[in-house]
Amino acid sequence: MTLGYLGIDIGSISTKGVIIDEDRTIIARSYLWTEGNPTEASRNVVRELESQVADAGVRIVGAGTTGSARRLVGAMLGASVIKNEITAHAVGTTYLHPDVRTILEIGGQDSKIICVSGGIAVDYAMNTLCAAGTGSFLSSQAHRLGVEVEEFGDIALTSKRPANIAARCTVFAESDLVHKIQVGYAREDIIAGLCNAVASNYLNNVGKGKKIDAPVVFQGGVSKNAGVVHAFEEQLGMPVTVDPDGHLMGAFGAALLAADAGPITDAESGPFASGAFDFEALLDFDFKTREVECGKCANHCEIICVYRDKDIIDSWGNRCDKGAVKTTA
Amino acid sequence: MADILHLPEEARSRVAVEERRREPKLGHRKFKRDRHKRIKVAFFRYCYYDPAFKFFVEQVLDADFLTLPEATKRTTEIGEQNSTDYVCTPFKHILGDYVEALEAGADVLVQFGGPCRLGYYGELQEAILRDMGYEFQMLNFSRGIEQGALGWAKQCLKTVNPDINIPAALPKLAATANMAVKLDEARDFYLANAGFERERGAFRRVWASYRDALRAATADRDINEAFREAMDAMRAIPLDKPADPIRIGVVGEMFTAIDERSNLELDEKLMAMGVEVHRMMNLTNRFIRYNEPNLRRSAADYLTYDMGPTSTLTVVAAHRYAQEGFDGVIHAKSAGCTPEIDCMPVLQRISADAAMPILYLTYDSQTSDTGLDTRLEAFYDMLSMKKEKTK
Repeated sequence: MTLGYLGIDIGSISTKGVIIDEDRTIIARSYLWTEGNPTEASRNVVRELESQVADAGVRIVGAGTTGSARRLVGAMLGASVIKNEITAHAVGTTYLHPDVRTILEIGGQDSKIICVSGGIAVDYAMNTLCAAGTGSFLSSQAHRLGVEVEEFGDIALTSKRPANIAARCTVFAESDLVHKIQVGYAREDIIAGLCNAVASNYLNNVGKGKKIDAPVVFQGGVSKNAGVVHAFEEQLGMPVTVDPDGHLMGAFGAALLAADAGPITDAESGPFASGAFDFEALLDFDFKTREVECGKCANHCEIICVYRDKDIIDSWGNRCDKGAVKTTA
Repeated sequence: MADILHLPEEARSRVAVEERRREPKLGHRKFKRDRHKRIKVAFFRYCYYDPAFKFFVEQVLDADFLTLPEATKRTTEIGEQNSTDYVCTPFKHILGDYVEALEAGADVLVQFGGPCRLGYYGELQEAILRDMGYEFQMLNFSRGIEQGALGWAKQCLKTVNPDINIPAALPKLAATANMAVKLDEARDFYLANAGFERERGAFRRVWASYRDALRAATADRDINEAFREAMDAMRAIPLDKPADPIRIGVVGEMFTAIDERSNLELDEKLMAMGVEVHRMMNLTNRFIRYNEPNLRRSAADYLTYDMGPTSTLTVVAAHRYAQEGFDGVIHAKSAGCTPEIDCMPVLQRISADAAMPILYLTYDSQTSDTGLDTRLEAFYDMLSMKKEKTK
């Protein structure tokens, strides 16, 4: 019987999960849409992962979560590691590609660049006030053009003369795009132009002032788009590697960090109460999030409480100790 | 009146360059002063300096100081509602403070003015508040600036209290400056050490009682005594400080880099992770002991000209942190702060030359706490992993 570690990356658009064994190889992978329901999506991901390792006899002894719903799902799973997505991506990628110097990442709502030197992250940047050129923008434009976003890359590669699309801002990009559709540009040229716009927008905003050295690894959902990969290669003038597991790198990083933390032995309740992950325990309970307005002072903080059935298992959002909520489990 | 187009060329140019200063038309009513009523003066909330503002009002201006309660979400909402969208975030916070001060019965509002757009904010805010229907006087230090200290003194006499005893007020003015210096000095010690306290909250308690003591001070002697006591108390707090802790320098614009409400408690967040925080930007270094040409020379490789309000201090501080081998620097600015945007290419050069990462944070009134936590946590993880590896 081998020991396994679970890593889940709950993003705004998709939820990713992996199970790694003691040798830190990925033995199960899952990728599903979040569809606005992170708890249900993570349950489905865990169920899919379980079914993939059911015959191998793996005992899952630890879990890590990352992504924007990491706190909620971390509380739900009783995870030992709850890490931000930047660290998780850096850890995951540098493990698989020890010689990487630059990690480009474009997800559903965010984009980041991580500079690596000697196997450790030395600098990073992440989009702040603007989410221009991320995955959700591409998928809404795909919808407008009547193609599936998954086909985007292949269509883009057939273009001989990519359209020039304003890249600075999605609002301008969109009106420029509509204009070019209406004057009759070929669809593949528009799509290729859009891919170029995503790449140049990324390099001008997130990548501004950062030195991009080879080898470059590109990941996140958008890395599955061959058109954007091609645009990056053209604009950077260097090869860009896309790992087949690139979209799972955050989950992989979270699993690695959970493996570093070791098996969970002191859980009093939750799925890890018996020492090994019990999927049934996850199904038995109902997880709910409720917002409470604190009335202890004039600021009225919104406190977020996560309930497992009737027990409060986690809470956050209070600015001072007056608003601290006791967990009841 | 003669039609301006038909004037001879010479006369027309004379019209164009005529230099006559006009008072801005803000619909001032004649200020009727009830000689038996004490004037209530309110400042906006700014960082941890309210004891110094209180001292200034009570001891120098000889008026009553209106203490505002902690800012709440409502403060920001009022400010946002009544400001233009693209004005920088401090403007919105300050406007919210003014409305709350007027609701609490303030007679006079104080605006510093300042070396960037802030210099125009006083007048704009006054106009907005009058449009909202409030009646008050504004002590705006952007007015009278052309005459320097004399102009400011005239403004104080005119708007707050015509009976200020000037010979008695001058040493109190020096004491106000001393209080700001003493606040900053204690704050520097707090930032460098509070992240390592053994008992959580010990530093915060001393800091709060120090500010309480300063609020009660009436003379220089009280200030120095409160400072000595606070420093002794802080030095006595047991620490678990590693020999080589992670050190982060905070640089940026005057409001967002320092003010806890504007930067969503950046200091506390960093210290909670166990970071030694340094920040050169404060009233002492920017105003009281500011010598721009000298500062600029200390970073002559990067600066040739004075680029504006806080740019020199931002670049010089980042340069100094790089020289001292800090692990990282955080650059905090409000959205649309042009002087600080100008600094960013210079900071990028410093960062590349010294191989010291810089995290750039842009705040507006919608900035989320969660997003900030993610970025700070990642920055900390990166610095600590780097530190471990290079040991």
